[in-house]
Amino acid sequence: MQQIVSGDHAAFSELYYRYKDRMYYYFYRMLRNSSELANDFLQELFMKLIEKPESYNPNYSFQTWLFSVANNMCKNEYRRSEVRKEYLTSEALKPKLDYISETPVEPEQLLEKVFQTLTLLGEEHRSAFLLRYREGFSIKEVAEILELPEGTVKSRLYYAKKMLAEKLEYLKDQIEL
Amino acid sequence: MTKKNSDQLFTDLLRNDRIGEPSKAIEDRLMYSFLLKNSSQKLKQNSFASFFGWLFSVQGLGLKTGLVSVILFVSVMNNQINIESGSISCTDTIFTKRVLLADSTSFVQSIDSLRTDSLN
Repeated sequence: MQQIVSGDHAAFSELYYRYKDRMYYYFYRMLRNSSELANDFLQELFMKLIEKPESYNPNYSFQTWLFSVANNMCKNEYRRSEVRKEYLTSEALKPKLDYISETPVEPEQLLEKVFQTLTLLGEEHRSAFLLRYREGFSIKEVAEILELPEGTVKSRLYYAKKMLAEKLEYLKDQIEL
Repeated sequence: MTKKNSDQLFTDLLRNDRIGEPSKAIEDRLMYSFLLKNSSQKLKQNSFASFFGWLFSVQGLGLKTGLVSVILFVSVMNNQINIESGSISCTDTIFTKRVLLADSTSFVQSIDSLRTDSLN
């Protein structure tokens, strides 16, 4: 980061390549699977780094800080979209969740059902789920990123898994919660 | 059937999720913005505009007054020392008066008068 502050182009390029796919995935899954929004948010995130690199606190791990900024951007987007939603019919926006899969499905279908369930649970469960299982952060790190107590993170993860097991019947026999 | 750990199942599931890559245009825009920002920073570094702006503003008046006082004090003291160092104050007489000349703290040379006709 110090190299970026001093204007090292190669350092910025390396940082971008190291995190672009992870951050893009996070935005994509957090923002209703929209590649357009994910691209916009990815650009905005790195623009923040360019314009205010001094906002990074070196006492924290860089990736923890970066995901924390990304998560706050998503929260702001949810707030904005909540305002917009008032003008639309709420039924049209609700995810359809009338399935209960009793037989094994393909990984792609399973993922689709997982994210439909997580959408129903809300962004706070989805963010904890993604950070823990996709990014591999520890409970402590997830708590730090989401600015929550560790107990809350554990409870959100447990609740999300429980809900997924309920919706995907066949998983009940295959996994331990 | 042995049960699989749910953490492992979801980790495997999500890590194998492929959604594509971000647009290349974003990378180009970001690299351009980074270069642009740093080039403008370098221009700023070579400019005196911010210094003059500070100098003629009301900011840091105490500091500026102090600096001016120090500069005045040094220049006044410097002039006084030059006068006392025995320069010829009057050339239309055959005598020039000199005051005590202090070369150092331990050496004080007293010259009451000096005949200038010896110069001729």
